Amino acid sequence: MALTNINLQIFAAEFLGVVGKSGAGKSTLLNMINGVDQLTSGEVIINTDGKKTSVHKMGEDERARWRGANMGVVYQSFQLLPMLTLLENVMLPMDLLDNFHPRKSKERALELLDLMEIAEHAHKLPSFISGGQQQRVAIARALANDPAILVADEPTGSLDSVTADHIFNVFETLVSKQGKTIIMVTHDMGLAGRFSRALTLTDGKLLDAELTANMDLTTRRMR
Amino acid sequence: MTADSAPREMITLRGVVKKFSNAAGEFTVLKGVNLDIYSGEFVSIVGKSGSGKSTLLNMVTGIDHPSDGQVVVNGQDIYSGVTESQRSKWRGKNLGIVFQFFQLLPMLTLLENVMLPMDYADLYSFDERPVRAMELLKMVGLEAFANKLPVLVSTGQQQLAAIARAMACDPPLLVADEPTGNLDTRSADTIIQLFERFVSQGKTVVMVTHDPSLTSRTHRNIIISDGEVIHESVSRALPQLRHRHMLEFSKLLRERSFHAGETILSREVRSDDFFIIRRGEVEVVLQDAQEKKYMLSNLAKDDFFGEAELTSGGKSIANVRAGAQPVEVVVIPRADFMRVMAQSPITAEAMSKATQIKLETQQIADHRAGTH
Repeated sequence: MALTNINLQIFAAEFLGVVGKSGAGKSTLLNMINGVDQLTSGEVIINTDGKKTSVHKMGEDERARWRGANMGVVYQSFQLLPMLTLLENVMLPMDLLDNFHPRKSKERALELLDLMEIAEHAHKLPSFISGGQQQRVAIARALANDPAILVADEPTGSLDSVTADHIFNVFETLVSKQGKTIIMVTHDMGLAGRFSRALTLTDGKLLDAELTANMDLTTRRMR
Repeated sequence: MTADSAPREMITLRGVVKKFSNAAGEFTVLKGVNLDIYSGEFVSIVGKSGSGKSTLLNMVTGIDHPSDGQVVVNGQDIYSGVTESQRSKWRGKNLGIVFQFFQLLPMLTLLENVMLPMDYADLYSFDERPVRAMELLKMVGLEAFANKLPVLVSTGQQQLAAIARAMACDPPLLVADEPTGNLDTRSADTIIQLFERFVSQGKTVVMVTHDPSLTSRTHRNIIISDGEVIHESVSRALPQLRHRHMLEFSKLLRERSFHAGETILSREVRSDDFFIIRRGEVEVVLQDAQEKKYMLSNLAKDDFFGEAELTSGGKSIANVRAGAQPVEVVVIPRADFMRVMAQSPITAEAMSKATQIKLETQQIADHRAGTH
């Protein structure tokens, strides 16, 4: 069983970290939240823009549309399309969802690249920028349709610590300035102190919340 | 490629130079590369990290542009008088590209990912696109996963989907940069088999790899060393040489040709060159006092000769002549050959074994011919 009896509430504008070893069920949990995968039993309810959605009740197509509008996803490998410029990569989700006028989507993509401090490279192809820069473009792309929630699966997994730190700063700003909710999965226990709340997943189970809270306190005191 | 038609050039590079400049100064990554790849060939490109192999690939795909020189792909000079957007359009129709990390869009299903290039190139009618995408997924064995998102399939399957996407607009040329670099051996094998199938259907496949077990499965292996292409006769005849020595030979060699039957080396006459056969066959023959001829051996493309003479004495140990067809060889001068051999113990040893066998055969043949 990949996940066992998970009960979890995530609040708006939280920067939630889910930490655990490889195989603990972190990615599966993320896939339940963003509706990428189907749960065996239970409920996933997501409240965005004052509208409650039962993710587990939606069909595949409906889920895909809902996800496109409400969730931004960032993965360890940046998965930018190599033949498109950074700008075109960021415009892509808007073009696909077709909820912005083309001129508007270009404008918005530039704004997002600017927010990620990478607008000067907008017309370059992905192979000409560094890994950390590519990840920032991937985050800009994840934000394209202005989702309330951003889910990130090991987004710093292939970056050096300085670059990873920059990505963390970006996430923190998105939470504090824009009120985004960010759920990030990592196997790096050392990052736990950087989230507004960290949960530990072991063998598909969430560690007792109180215990985690205490651990969290301990790590905070140690810092 | 059919036997009776001349091979058509798919990729031609002439004098391609690529310079990068950064704070440390200017750095030349490609130093005047000439290269021909023909339609229907399955070609691997190898080279150490930093040798310039990915840069070379970027010149072919038009991702980057050369500082000097000409690149013609499928009959189109892709840099002269072509704008970035024209090149992008051209690429969509002529080129499939596969990368080490699959670059599938995470928010799209495999089917939608495969449809994407058709949308971009605006090829195939709107209704045809999903049908064609499904056929491509079937071809790579992923039809059951068509509606899954990339995260839900294995990395091997993601790469197969990326290949299906690369073939979406039915390009004549598929270019792959370390396509198996991130995969286990079994998935890698599936991918190479797929490439072999494309080639059997007349596609041209060019693959950058660092895995020697894959280069044996391609028609040709091109080695890049320090921004230059190694002469293929050298790399095939002396595969154990270090790349930098291969490159040294590539720069020093001269090309020579001989008519059918023409003498290349005469027994007891001093020889000053090391020979590698590029085309045709040569005959190694002994002649006794009565002008009776004994054929010792037949050497063909990529075989070498002349090494025994250079390493043991200097005079030719047999007569060597061109066979029934004209012969083309490359020759490396004695001094250069000896210098590199002195630094290449593995090749020198392999060669000395071969020489030993030749000399022994020689003695037996000499004995039979009655010259001793």
